Amino acid sequence: MQLPDWWQTDPCQRFTLGPREIPGRIWTASGCFGYGLSGHDISSPEFASPYDGIGAVVTKTVTPQPRAGNPMPRLAELPCGALNSIGLQNVGIDHFVSEVLPELERLGVPTIVSLAATRPDEFGEMTRRLHAVAGRYDHWHGVELNLSCPNVAEGGHDFGRSAETVAACVAAARPHLPDRCLLAKLTPNVGEIAPLAHAAVAAGADAIAAINTVIGLEVDLASGQPLLPRRFGGYSGPAILPIALAKVDEIVCEVGAAVVGIGGIATSEDALKFFALGAVAVQVGTAQLRDPFATAEIARELSR
Amino acid sequence: MNGGQSGNRLRLTGHVLANTAISSGLIRLDLDLGRPVSFAPGQFAMLNLTGPDSLVFSRPFSILACEETVVSFLYRVVGRGTALLARQEPGCVVTFFGPLGGSFPPPPDDSPVVILAGGVGLPPLYAWWRRYRRGEDRAYFGGRDGADVPWSLLEEGWRVSVDRLTNLPPGAEAWEGLVVDYGRHELTTSDGPRLVLACGPAPLLRAAARWAAEGNWPCLVSVEERMGCGYGVCNGCVVPLLATGDATDAVLPYATCCEEGPVFAAERIDWDAFARTE
Repeated sequence: MQLPDWWQTDPCQRFTLGPREIPGRIWTASGCFGYGLSGHDISSPEFASPYDGIGAVVTKTVTPQPRAGNPMPRLAELPCGALNSIGLQNVGIDHFVSEVLPELERLGVPTIVSLAATRPDEFGEMTRRLHAVAGRYDHWHGVELNLSCPNVAEGGHDFGRSAETVAACVAAARPHLPDRCLLAKLTPNVGEIAPLAHAAVAAGADAIAAINTVIGLEVDLASGQPLLPRRFGGYSGPAILPIALAKVDEIVCEVGAAVVGIGGIATSEDALKFFALGAVAVQVGTAQLRDPFATAEIARELSR
Repeated sequence: MNGGQSGNRLRLTGHVLANTAISSGLIRLDLDLGRPVSFAPGQFAMLNLTGPDSLVFSRPFSILACEETVVSFLYRVVGRGTALLARQEPGCVVTFFGPLGGSFPPPPDDSPVVILAGGVGLPPLYAWWRRYRRGEDRAYFGGRDGADVPWSLLEEGWRVSVDRLTNLPPGAEAWEGLVVDYGRHELTTSDGPRLVLACGPAPLLRAAARWAAEGNWPCLVSVEERMGCGYGVCNGCVVPLLATGDATDAVLPYATCCEEGPVFAAERIDWDAFARTE
């Protein structure tokens, strides 16, 4: 694509986010590139690796205990997007710290660890666990608090709708991240997102990650029932791009916070729209599922 | 338990050479990838279209064959993705990401193999049969009726069953009934254990697993699931497993179909939970 004149940034150059320098501005979104370990044997004629140009991999969300996730089906494709109800299947923080993080470091994957919990003190405890081993990890750059996953009944969606709770979670994590960046990933399933973003920044977040998936539902006409066993899922993909842009604009204009834009990015044009609104970085989600080189391709196209 | 991955996973651009019905319900797609690709029987690729027809999720298809730069698939039109794929004419671009997942293993030295393939579950076992078959191995294919059977692929020893004994081409032979019932007679006529390899609809897999267990025969099944990514990053295509007693299994009872499968030991699958997802 022809890059617009106003775009003079090299997205593959390091930039500062809070107390940390991040290797680049084009990231993979949580849940869309696993823990970041699955791309090393993938190649194409155009790229040596799916990691080419990627500024950070935001890992699959990790919780205090391992989680089995939801029953099948977990996915529903719709004409302009996809519903998912994975249910935070993950290995838990113990296994992540002992097995996954060392492997990410060995492979040199720039990593942001996504965390979810049901109480603020659990965020504090998980970040404390990471902080305790931080000295071994040059490629671990920060934490993204998943305050908005809509699929977990006991926390997740409702959890992230309260500005007080958002602030409590960020405040619990902040002291354990003296030299790593801290992002708060917010739900779009609220009337106004700015109060949540303001609470997060006031409590010490370096940036707001916005947005997570939009709550949706698909009906199986054969049975007359919701297709997903948990009824609702998280809607992602091209359809939510304008929703994400509106929320990012609201945060930038009303809070002035640094924002990492997420939502429906499939092309470099999509990513540029977030940067045009003031986002400091972007994350590629559903498109990374379709094509392991989607993020690398956007990074390459936006490089000057 | 399966044959594991073979070689690197590649994302390539393919051009349609042929996309033609070879039976009343099955279509063979031949893609020219412009370079040779190696695969193991049972592996699959994620295919997608480009431009306005591009799908949010690529679709998984088992690899039927690779000859030089041409990779072949077999599919049935079951939804929007396969309907769009069926409209692609020679020269059209189809994106290829593969080979992915594990595979059926080579034949064991100590026992013959019994193959059960149902409908569009044929590709991995067709590939196995072409690569590994020995004189003592047996292959069974089941179709809906004579017109549904891809006869051109089933030379060289395949035994055919059909749900309805109609529309048989001249000279063709078929047994009337389900392929699992046709293959089951191996239990009573064989002089020793067999390794059962199965791919097809879930009822076929479950029935194969059941009678293989009756004979105390090992059984490997290739499972079909909805997939988001095909390379193990989204956890959208999990298969429920029985706990092995390992504490980790008790907490994480699912395996990804795309990366840990699609070939599983039948005895590891929780068939009751699997049935609830059909």
